[in-house]
Amino acid sequence: MKKKILVLIGLSIALFGCEDVIDLEVKDGKEQLVVDAWLTDEPKEQTIRLSLSQPYFNQGEPLPALGAEVYVIKHDSTLHRFEDTDNNGSYVYRPRNNRLFLETNRPVALYVKYKGEEYYAVSSLKRVPTIDSLKYQSITLPIAPDDSPKSGFLAQFFAHDFEGEGDTYLIRSYKNDVLRSRSDEYSLVYDAGFSPSSKTDGVLFIQPLRLAINSGLFSDKDKVTVELFSIPLDAYYFLYQVQTETNNGGIFATPSSNIPSNIINRNPESKEKALGMFFVSKVNRFSAVIDANLASED
Amino acid sequence: MKLICTIVTVFLFLQTAFSQETYTISGTIRDAADGEVLIGVNLYAREQKQGTSTNVYGFYSLTLPKGTHTFSISYVGYHNVVKTIELNGNMTQNFELKDEGKQLEELQVTAKREDENVRSVEMSVNKIEMRTIKKMPALLGEVDVIRSIQFLPGVSSVGEGSSGFNVRGGAIDQNLVLLDEAPVYNSSHLMGFFSIFNPDVVRDVKLIKGGVPAMYGGRISSILDVRMKEGNSKKTEFSGGIGSIFSRFTLESPIVKDKGSFVVALRRSYIDILAKPFLNKDLKGVKFYFYDFTAKANYKINDKNTVYLSGYFGRDLFGADFGFDWGNATTTFRWNHVFNNKLFLNTTVFYSNYDYSLDSDLKNENKEDVFRWNSNILNYSIKPDFTYYLNAKNTITFGGQAILYNFNPGEALVVSGGEGQNIGLHPKKALETALYFGNEQKIGSKVTLNYGLRYSYYDYFGSGAAYTFDETATPGERKALLETKEISGNESIQNYGNLEPRFAVNIGLNSTTSLKIGYNRLAQYIHLLSNTVASSPLDVWTPSTNNIKPQLSDQIAVGVFKNFKSNMFETSVEVYYKTLQNQIDYIRNADLLLNPFVEGDLMYGKGRAYGAEFFAKKNKGDLTGWVSYTLSRTERKVDGLNNNEWFLSRIDKLHNVSVVSMYDISKKWNIGATFTYMTGTPASFPTSKYIWQGIAVPHNYTDERNTYRIPPSHRLDLSATKKNKHALFKKGESEWVFSVYNVYNRRNPFSVYVRQNPDDQSKTEAVRYSVFASILPAITYNFKF
Repeated sequence: MKKKILVLIGLSIALFGCEDVIDLEVKDGKEQLVVDAWLTDEPKEQTIRLSLSQPYFNQGEPLPALGAEVYVIKHDSTLHRFEDTDNNGSYVYRPRNNRLFLETNRPVALYVKYKGEEYYAVSSLKRVPTIDSLKYQSITLPIAPDDSPKSGFLAQFFAHDFEGEGDTYLIRSYKNDVLRSRSDEYSLVYDAGFSPSSKTDGVLFIQPLRLAINSGLFSDKDKVTVELFSIPLDAYYFLYQVQTETNNGGIFATPSSNIPSNIINRNPESKEKALGMFFVSKVNRFSAVIDANLASED
Repeated sequence: MKLICTIVTVFLFLQTAFSQETYTISGTIRDAADGEVLIGVNLYAREQKQGTSTNVYGFYSLTLPKGTHTFSISYVGYHNVVKTIELNGNMTQNFELKDEGKQLEELQVTAKREDENVRSVEMSVNKIEMRTIKKMPALLGEVDVIRSIQFLPGVSSVGEGSSGFNVRGGAIDQNLVLLDEAPVYNSSHLMGFFSIFNPDVVRDVKLIKGGVPAMYGGRISSILDVRMKEGNSKKTEFSGGIGSIFSRFTLESPIVKDKGSFVVALRRSYIDILAKPFLNKDLKGVKFYFYDFTAKANYKINDKNTVYLSGYFGRDLFGADFGFDWGNATTTFRWNHVFNNKLFLNTTVFYSNYDYSLDSDLKNENKEDVFRWNSNILNYSIKPDFTYYLNAKNTITFGGQAILYNFNPGEALVVSGGEGQNIGLHPKKALETALYFGNEQKIGSKVTLNYGLRYSYYDYFGSGAAYTFDETATPGERKALLETKEISGNESIQNYGNLEPRFAVNIGLNSTTSLKIGYNRLAQYIHLLSNTVASSPLDVWTPSTNNIKPQLSDQIAVGVFKNFKSNMFETSVEVYYKTLQNQIDYIRNADLLLNPFVEGDLMYGKGRAYGAEFFAKKNKGDLTGWVSYTLSRTERKVDGLNNNEWFLSRIDKLHNVSVVSMYDISKKWNIGATFTYMTGTPASFPTSKYIWQGIAVPHNYTDERNTYRIPPSHRLDLSATKKNKHALFKKGESEWVFSVYNVYNRRNPFSVYVRQNPDDQSKTEAVRYSVFASILPAITYNFKF
């Protein structure tokens, strides 16, 4: 079913339309601190990247924000210092003794001091369901999509939302250990559906989400990995808007608008505002290697 | 209200007090060939220098002193009729006009008397006759009412392929689109590519942009009044056409000769049928088409009573195993009743429904995973409109309307893994009522006034739920729900009342020049929630509630109208200033579908629009057409957007130029050309970007909205029509229409947006998106026998 939606929608949009890359002159904005702090509770190296914003059409790597003091403060008031040992803006912390870094349903705070300004952000670790299984079926598309074979396998993972409204998750996937990293390649989940209005509390993730781990088709012997992250509600909206603002073309585009950050300057009078997001996740992973002999038929 | 009534009464009294013994002549004026009534025919009593014109039902009434009068009846494209009548008592006199034969072959741009644009008190009004629309080059050869009116001054769209149209800075939901007096909620097929009006059954198209008479209400920017043909009452006629998108068939026939007639018309797109042989088995079940069915019948019971029944049913279907379809259905019943020579009544009763539905699995094969969703807006209305031809100086209109709305904002079934539930939003109900009174009054030979007052009253009632939100929330953020009040029965939740004064004056400066001034206030109680550049068929209409206030607009317009060379050329310049209140905007991440608390995601602001419209038209000769130029500005101010400052609306178009021309080369051939130039729509672009998990996120440091413009759009379209002596089997007549859209192959931008290069994510770039990126030629064959 899904394939037909894709083919049809593709056909109708591609009927006459076209996209051209053009030159655009825009005003440059002022440089701002950018906090890229997405941590998990896993007992492994945790990294917070600090960089500086740059003009939109500047194609260089972003400049790192160096010399910052970065701490993560847990609910028990323990401080964990993140250090930029390589002096490249990547502030790293290595949990000792393989212990889980964070605890579920407990608040956690981030503190950053950069160029005399103090910033903070608060998040909380939410529960994550376990991925039960992953299935795949062999199918043949009527038209071969870009970068994908005409015949192959469509994968689907299965997981259930917890009872209780308001759980939010992020799904992303890997093909042969390569992350599908574009902003339109991750999926956001509210309970078991797309958004609060879908009213899908406590059920199996809805079909479009279960199928969202495919880009084109998988081939025999391909490795599929699915990651399911719990995310707090503010991160759900942040990531939702990131998808909107970075894929905002076509005739149904929405007015662009800045994405609010949860990084707050301790001095509300200060003109220095930070960008980016701090949040923490629990993660559940599932991997499988496609075996043509085991695939179900369409 | 009382004061106004008193003033009106005094005025009327002054006008009639000293008149001598008078009688009234009235009747209906029709086309002699097919019996269609003629709208706007001029009837002039020469000795008295008094005139009138027929209303939309072809009815006229004129009160004159007792005695002998010479009437001249004139209508563009028809032979003048001069008749001497002795008026010794009230009398009924019907006329039939013969069209001018060859003259008909020539283009008649408008269906009205030749100097109506100067003489009439109407301003900010454009009419295009179907014959003109049919000669204009059309996208893929499909003659289109909505696309054609976009060549008029003050009318624009957000881009090619978007649905609807914008009038003087108004949103698309602020146009009252009427098909035989029933409102149409979505005037487009295939998103916005084609309009739902079948050109073969449309008789008359009138767009009112300002100086709106009191009989109209319910939308705040414009009225698009589309009237359907009545059907040939003299003989059976079969016509149709085969185009690149649609095939059309129309049958017209008398029911009883000269008593009644009907017309039925069907259009269907047939890309899917043509494509079928080329689709393999996987796609055999694919549905991808749209159709519409239009029908109308009229029956003249006697000289005093005529009834009309008209209906429209149209649908777009899109799908295979899954389905998505939407469409309008309207039914209108009208009863014309002539009480006496002076009092005319039309009563309209209509039903209108717009609905859409989505279904993940039409064949119901997978019961484990289902998504079904539908939404609709349904309304019933009764509308009596009286016209009282008091005397030669005063024509009074009065009447009212009641509309019962039933909104189903969304009902869905979601099943996942065999478990599921219904998501139902409360239906919303409302009753909109209005009473109005208006008078068109001639003062001397130079001045004509049209003044009136409309009072509209709106009641939003249960059963349902009324929500209260935290209005102290930071503007631009989602408002938290404070309280839910369950409403049982038909208890009123919120009501609004608005006085809507209307005024227009025409001051004749000389025989070919007039100055017109118009003012109107309009109220609108229903709103289309749409946060995308172009409206989509999924957008939901919502009523005014305890949170959403009715939209109001006030507009003043001033214009000078002048004709040259005995009405061969007509010209006008109009300036307008319009303010808009309670304009809806949306918070970021606004969730407009299936969201019971959608009102918490809305923001309210104000708008203003002003501009100047220049219009010059050539009505006669082998070359006809018009040039229009609009200079305008449209702005919005909403707390929480653009640092609470005024910003350009996304429908703002600084310059808008249209040239429409048609040339009759010979009896056989005529050609048409249209050119349009529009300033690009305003846009917001990021000043900076930042990298978050490898994603380049755009950011605007100043947080300003719409400070840039995308490049302008311009386009030339051409058409050529070849008339054949006969259609098939050497009968009837036929024509070939050749058209080319976007002749010089310009890629007009619909939007410009920024993105990460999909192949090299380290790069960020700007992209121009064009809806039509090539020359689009088409051939259409039309026939009639």
